[in-house]
Parts: sequence; C-alpha cells; structure tokens
Amino acid sequence: MARYGMALDYKNCINCKACEVACKEENGILMGADKHRIWVGVKEIKGEYPLLDIVSSSFEPSQCQHCESAPCQEVCPTNATYYDENGVVRVDPDKCILCSYCMNACPYDARYVDDRTMTVDKCNFCSDTRLARGETTTACQATCPTKVRTFGDLDDPESEISVLLRTREHFSLKSHLGTKPKLFYLT
Amino acid sequence: MAEAVKKQGIKEFITSIPYNKIGLKDLMSFEKTPRNIIIAVITFAFLVSFAVGVALYLMHGHHSYNVTREHPWGLLIAVYIFFVVSSTGLCIVGSLGDVFGYKEYEMISKRAIFGSIVTIIAGFAVIAFEIGHPVTMLIYNVLTPGFTSAIWWMGTLYGLYLTFMIIEFVFLLKHDMRMARIFGLTGLLVGLAAHSNLGGVFGFLNARTISNGVFYPTYFILTAFITGIFIAFIMMGIRYRLSFPENAKKMLTNLAKIQGLLIAILIFFVTWKMLTDIYGGMPNRSEVALHILGSWTFWAEVVLAMAIPLLIILKSKGSAIHAMFWASLGGMVGVFFMRYNLVHDTQLKPLQMMKVREYQLAPEWVHYFPSAAEIMISLGGLGLCILLYYVGTKLFNLDAETH
Repeated sequence: MARYGMALDYKNCINCKACEVACKEENGILMGADKHRIWVGVKEIKGEYPLLDIVSSSFEPSQCQHCESAPCQEVCPTNATYYDENGVVRVDPDKCILCSYCMNACPYDARYVDDRTMTVDKCNFCSDTRLARGETTTACQATCPTKVRTFGDLDDPESEISVLLRTREHFSLKSHLGTKPKLFYLT
Repeated sequence: MAEAVKKQGIKEFITSIPYNKIGLKDLMSFEKTPRNIIIAVITFAFLVSFAVGVALYLMHGHHSYNVTREHPWGLLIAVYIFFVVSSTGLCIVGSLGDVFGYKEYEMISKRAIFGSIVTIIAGFAVIAFEIGHPVTMLIYNVLTPGFTSAIWWMGTLYGLYLTFMIIEFVFLLKHDMRMARIFGLTGLLVGLAAHSNLGGVFGFLNARTISNGVFYPTYFILTAFITGIFIAFIMMGIRYRLSFPENAKKMLTNLAKIQGLLIAILIFFVTWKMLTDIYGGMPNRSEVALHILGSWTFWAEVVLAMAIPLLIILKSKGSAIHAMFWASLGGMVGVFFMRYNLVHDTQLKPLQMMKVREYQLAPEWVHYFPSAAEIMISLGGLGLCILLYYVGTKLFNLDAETH
C-alpha cells in the first residue's frame, strides 16, 4: 500500500512529447488520439514583436491529478470511478455507463472517451501495466529526457518525491477547489 | 394500496381498472379537420425521425452526436431535462386538486397526472440513447450505488416517482380519492426531491462556477411549476378546442394568476443570478455570464417563457385565457431554450485553457450545435409524447368524474 503522487519540474519540459508516446505504447492508448491520458499544454509568448516576453512561454505537462478528493469519483453514479489501494483514481470499464458526468465534473479536463470500449478513460499511473508488474515507475517518467517527472510514494519520507516536495517549493493546479491533487508542480 | 389490493386480489384489482377497449381503427378515427391531419402527419414524421435517429445511434454510437470531450452533454440531455421538468410541473398542477384538495383544480388532475407519466416516459426514451450503457446502468445502479452522485439520486428517485404516478393514476381512474391522495402526495414529494437533485447535478459542479451553487436545485422546482401551468393551458385548450366551459375558464384564470406570480419570481431570480455572476469579474463566471447575455437563445428564453406570458397576464389580470393558450405554446419553446441554455452554458468555458498542439489556437469558447441524429431523436421524444397522450385520451376518461 502506497500513496502515489507525481512531482513535475515543469520548467525543464522541452515539449518533446516523448511522455505522450511512451504512455500510448505502454498502456495501449489509441495512436493519434489528441490529449488522451497525458498532454503538454503550451503557454503562448505574450507581447508583440519585437517586445516579446520570452519568459512568458512555458510548457505545462498535465494529466489526471489523482485528487484525494476527486470530483469525478464523487459524481459517478455507479462507483465505476474508485480509489485503489494506492490512492490512484481509476475507472472500472465494466461499471461505466458513459453518462459523462465525470467529464463535466473533472476540473482538469483529464477524462476522455475510449472509442474502443466506449467508456470513460483516464491516466491511472500505469497501474494496469508497470505497477501491476511490480515496477515503481510510470512510462512517462521513465522516458522523460529532462527528468521532468518524479513518481513515488508520498507516504514514504525517504522517497525521491517526498524529498523533492520537502526541499522545493511547489504548487497544485486549481487547489482552491479543494480537490487535493497529487500532482505537484515544482517552482 | 395493500388494503385495497388485499380486498380485491391483485388480478381483480388490475382487471377492474376502467379503460375503453380500443383498436387501431379507433385510434385512426379522429375528426379529419386540416388541423388534426397536420398534427397527425407531424407526429408521424417525428416518430419516423426518432427511428432514423436511433438507427444512426445504433450504427455509429456517440459519433453520430456532436458531443465532444469539451462538451460531453448535448441536446439529448437538454431534451431529457425538458421532459422531466414538464413531468414534475404537471405533477404539481395535478396535485393541486387531488392532493391539496382545491376543488376547482380537480378537473385537470387526472389529465395532468397522465401527462406527467407520458412526459417522463418520453424523457426516459430520449436519455436511453444518450447514456452509453443503459443496461449496465440498471445493473450497477443497484449493485454499486454511488450515493454521493446527484445523477444516482435523480435517476433512482425518478424511477420511484414514475411508479407512484402510475399507481396514483390508477386510483384516480378507479375514483379512489383517498388512495390517490396518499400516492399523489408521496409521488409529489419524491418527484420534487428527484427534480431538485437534477438541479444538483449542475449545482454540484465545483469546476463550473457558472452553475455551481444552490441556484439550479431551487430554480428547477420553480420552472417546473411554470412549465406545468403552460402545459395545463395547452392540454385544456386542445381538450375544449378553445371553447372553454365556465369551470375551465375559472380554473385557467386562477392558474394564469399563479403563473404571473411565478414568472415574476423567476425574472427576479434570473436577474439576480446574472448580476451576482457578473459583479466583481470573477474569472470563469462573469465572462461566461456576459457571453450568455450576448446569445440569442438566452433572449428567446426571456421573451417566450417570461416576457410575453407575463405581459398577457398583467394586461388581462389573468382572464385572457385564449391568448394564454398561444403564449403557453410559445412559452414551451422558451422553456426548451431554457433547458438547452443551462446545459450548453454550463460547458461554455473550456476547463483546460492551453493549446496542446502546434498551429492550434488556444481554446476560447466551446462551440456546439446538435447533430442530425440528436435533433431527430429529440423530435422523436416529442412525437412519442404526443402519441402516448393521444392514445391515453382514447383509452382512458381523462376528464374529472362528477361526484
């Protein structure tokens, strides 16, 4: 039993999209599918040439935030969305009725419809694949060339992610909504 | 019910429900006036479009709809809400006479309760093709219920509500007013709970600041009553072909006065909702509210469902019941836009505001226009509603029985 989370040193992101490719390969996500499971958001450069604010441009890798108080789980009428023993927010496709309420309720737009099963899918921190095989890394983390992502057990004080969160300042997305995300953006 | 059923036995109880024995010939034997023929042709066309829309859905699934990841709820959700609001409204109107004992409204009780059954069946028929896996829903709603989900409560309570409405209607047909009152009151309370939960489906969306809060659960009950009165005018207008007897005139005048008050309260609610949404420029709320103010569908709702009926009622002090019949038809179009707007406006603002691909513009507003399949299934719901109501008028005596 662990409490998995992920820290993102997002300023290191070079938008190479290797994480998206690795995720698709590892978890069998449809190729070409836009913004499925994980994506990299691009903040445009502000200002007009030649007065461009170059530092305003940044990349923000994103995905399901694996909230401790997940709105998508609360609104699910059949409990198809559930927290597993590692605190990972997951979907049981057998119970999903495709009412799309979770898609509307998720503040992070992290859910999408898998066209093969016609159920709602999302990132599950590679729980069906790498974690199930006993590994303790995710595909996106393992492939990242600039080591943006650090995945680990938040309850283990010696884990790399716990050390990072103790020593680096960080923020969470839309934390004012009280969702308690387990994705942390390092500053 | 147990007492009444015990006395008679279930079989006898069911077989003694009064109804007219009719066949297809009887259904086709309406007065062949141009108006009736037009209504019959339109209803048939709607039913055909329902079949085509469902066929498209069965072949292509949700791809036959214009719903997207950013706008997962479309026209069918709006139409479902439209029908269940109508049902709750008719239940409230029907309850005035047989639950609360206001004698003058008893003449519409049976008709309104039957209408509430018909409209919710039409609503269920539409939503069955929006929910991706309706059979799974029936199974896991029971096996693994999500008690924190407003959709679970709404769906379950509406199922119970339909059951109570049918039982109440049976007792009304049997003229057992005591049992009708018991089941009517239970059905009304369950219906109101279901309906406010439907408002809660939107009110609980913390991520959508335009909808989040107490507004929708209360607003839904208010607009249900307004919708119920609009439909009461339409049903009575058609029943009496606008030549109303004295008791109907009196009842409709009183209903119009209630409607005037309700619409005034609604205008008050909507005005303050808009003001509080815009005031202070709260991100994701004020800009959405301003966007709504600039959309023609919002003004269609305001003009058709609020301004025109209220002006007619104020000018005539409720006595212009002919004008109110026509205003109610327009009012129902306004109510449709009301439902469409609340579904669409909730999803106007994208939740993820960064572009994710090169040469893509950053997301701004989410656009949506229903697909042909969505429109066909929605019209089909209306056709089904008209057909079932027509069959009901032939099958049952929907007028009040003289005591």
